[in-house]
Amino acid sequence: MVKQLKSFIILAMVALVTISGATSCKSSNKLSKKEYKARVEQATKDLNAILNDQTEWTLEEQQARVNEIKQTDFSKKNPEIVEMIERAEAKIAKEMAERDRLAEEQRLKEEQRLRELEEQSKPKTGLADYFNMIANAKDVATANKYIKEALDLFESPDAAVLIRLNNYGDYDRPTTAVNYLNYLKDQKRVTVNVDNIKYNEENKITELELIKK
Amino acid sequence: MKKVLFAIAFAFFALTGYQAFAQEPELSPERKQAIDSLALEKVRDLSKYVKLIGSKNTPWSEANRVIDRAEELFAPDAEIGVSSLSKTKIEYYKVRKYLERLMRLNYDRVEIDWYKIQYVSDLQRQPDGTYVGVITIFQTFKGYDAEGRLVYQDTTKKDITVYVKRKETQIGGRLIGFWDVLLGDMRVKETTHK
Repeated sequence: MVKQLKSFIILAMVALVTISGATSCKSSNKLSKKEYKARVEQATKDLNAILNDQTEWTLEEQQARVNEIKQTDFSKKNPEIVEMIERAEAKIAKEMAERDRLAEEQRLKEEQRLRELEEQSKPKTGLADYFNMIANAKDVATANKYIKEALDLFESPDAAVLIRLNNYGDYDRPTTAVNYLNYLKDQKRVTVNVDNIKYNEENKITELELIKK
Repeated sequence: MKKVLFAIAFAFFALTGYQAFAQEPELSPERKQAIDSLALEKVRDLSKYVKLIGSKNTPWSEANRVIDRAEELFAPDAEIGVSSLSKTKIEYYKVRKYLERLMRLNYDRVEIDWYKIQYVSDLQRQPDGTYVGVITIFQTFKGYDAEGRLVYQDTTKKDITVYVKRKETQIGGRLIGFWDVLLGDMRVKETTHK
């Protein structure tokens, strides 16, 4: 009984291999003329569509279709299709590269935009903050570091600084940015509020007006 | 005739005097207060500068920069008096020389403090429009040796003449009227042990 079952299984396996082998040969090598002609027509049509931008397929779909066309050997009877395949592949590769470049460019732009947004939303160290930091610095080196940073806000260390005493047009002797910041370091106190700031095109301070507290 | 001449002369002086005052009207109390405070502030600024220049902890380059700033507070040719408990004579030095001597005092540690900074003579307007007053200060000076021992100490009362003059300057195409405060001579009034 077991012997009979074994023979049956072997027979079934041989039959299966034989049938599948015959089907495979038919799909790759042994196309009928009619089938081959249909493939040539379809391949020509699809490749032309790809080459002339007359398809709505994505680039990946186009590449997949070209790969599918390449499964058939057109080199002997239809070398023009092989040439079209090469052109289509080159075109798809070029367009993919261009698409990736644009995507990268877009990504970098977006990153930059987000960075700027983050920078803008960060609490910036303003001039009044620097005044307090310089006046309250723990030592000369720290105060000098803050002065250097604060001077970056100015067009030049010699930018004019006006100190208004009241609202009657009375001012103290005008000074410069660098001298005023050093004054804060020396005197260790801030006795003014920022009243008005003039900027240049580069957003640097050209003139600073302070008012006595 | 004499009466007529006297009347003409009186009228002339009255008119010219009136014109002089009319050119520069009296400051309102608020504005006068602002320049009073400004002049006092300059003296307080000087007290910080003197402290910094005298301190042995101030880096040399910083002390020199502060000397420049302090010198700018004074009128040209202003002098500062120096007294000592060991000498009866008061020496007067030009401001820069005084400040440079202060920086090089022969102690290992120096403490200088000013207090009771106040007007002894309020700012008064002079015929040329300059306001002149006198501010008094008390200065305590302490000098220490390398072992940290206090080797010299005194308290000096000094009077500083202050001049405040209205000036104008162009900044950014704008005419700015400002009060230029200049300190004059700083005269020693008395020096005591404490």
